[in-house]
Amino acid sequence: MFEDIDPRSPTPLWGQIAARVRVAVAAGELRPGEILPSVRELAKRLRVNPATVAQAYRELAREGFVEMRHGTGTFIKDVGEARKDLERRLRASDLVRRMLEDGARLGITGNELADAFQEEVGSKVHE
Amino acid sequence: MSNAIEIRGLNWRPSKAFAIEELDITVPSGAIYGFLGPNGSGKTSTIRLLMGMAKPQGGCIQVLGGRVPDDLHTTLARTGYVPERPHVIPALTVDEAIRVHSAFFPSWDSGWASGMKKEFRLPADTRVGRLSKGETGKLLMLLALAQRPDLLVLDEPTDGLDPVVRRDVLTAVLDYVSEVGATVFISSHLVHELERFCDWVGVVDDGKIVAEMPMDTFKNEIKRIRVVGWPENRDGDFPFGLLGRRPSDGMVAGETWVVRGWQDQMTDFFTSAGATVREVTHLDLEEGFVELLTSARPEAWRGRNGDGPVRGEGDGYGTSGIPSEERGEG
Repeated sequence: MFEDIDPRSPTPLWGQIAARVRVAVAAGELRPGEILPSVRELAKRLRVNPATVAQAYRELAREGFVEMRHGTGTFIKDVGEARKDLERRLRASDLVRRMLEDGARLGITGNELADAFQEEVGSKVHE
Repeated sequence: MSNAIEIRGLNWRPSKAFAIEELDITVPSGAIYGFLGPNGSGKTSTIRLLMGMAKPQGGCIQVLGGRVPDDLHTTLARTGYVPERPHVIPALTVDEAIRVHSAFFPSWDSGWASGMKKEFRLPADTRVGRLSKGETGKLLMLLALAQRPDLLVLDEPTDGLDPVVRRDVLTAVLDYVSEVGATVFISSHLVHELERFCDWVGVVDDGKIVAEMPMDTFKNEIKRIRVVGWPENRDGDFPFGLLGRRPSDGMVAGETWVVRGWQDQMTDFFTSAGATVREVTHLDLEEGFVELLTSARPEAWRGRNGDGPVRGEGDGYGTSGIPSEERGEG
């Protein structure tokens, strides 16, 4: 699930881990009541600083995505459909912003990107 | 106690060719501190001074609240050390080496050591001198961790190891940190390796610290920007630190500036001078590291573009100016 964590990205690793969990919750990939790996386990698996994982979990708890139960673990909470929708919209904006930035670097305008986007979506629809 | 290591104004001149000068290092307790620098920059020297293996000419060193060298007996008892070169007697078998090492540390955890020996698949009866490089690296890490230290000082612990062993060794360190919350001071020139788990970075060059800050700050601080239409002969007060400037590479318009302390609204500064910022490039740790070192060595800029270095006022960096021929072994 955390395969795309990129240490070289400008987004700090804790932010990437938290974002990945939020997306998984929004997509229904992680369901309320499910337990996340312990800080130690995930740090070991991702070869990152345990403090990084702990910070990601704290951030998720602050936003209401997880509940940290002392001694038992970190559990996914039910955030409700509205919050899930918002999360998906935020992620979609992120993706588009990144695309626009890449486009600007290559001299491709927003309109050209929009056309290409329509075309791709269209071809998918007609499949 | 908030800092695991504090080095202030350290001076050490082992030879005419090399010196550590006025070195300051602060490692907060619980940090995983990446100590970066090119070969011969003073990484190993600093670590040897930290471990009391050399006597400085000036300055002070505090480790875990104790002074080096006065309190070495207590600081060393709580410090796990992996040296650059193996420090285990080659004639001993793995088991003997573990037993000998354990005798020096009252906090030694023999159960953990034998568990680790299994996990690392170390051959108990093989002489240390006959171990492969990877096995030696694992044994050194086992010895450092089984003493249950509060501080780990690791000098290039993965240098020359294959990727699988490197992963095993670093995973063992991270697992130990998860369990105990120890502080780690790790030197390496494998920058990408450190990028994954260090939360502090110190960069040393020519026996001096050129940067020390939290990893996130380091990665957000240094940017490469492309500036078009900057008026010639206009210098002045930049709202950021200017590490270096080089002319257009001939393929795309605009000079490349390397800056630290960049914030997005600073494009206004360029607009008011009639220039535009075309592109702001994020640098990863390795690129930031290289830019930082390049800017600290004026001759490198001259060599690249036939022009002198240009720097912001009072950023306090990049003042070394020692020609590279004089750089000695660290």
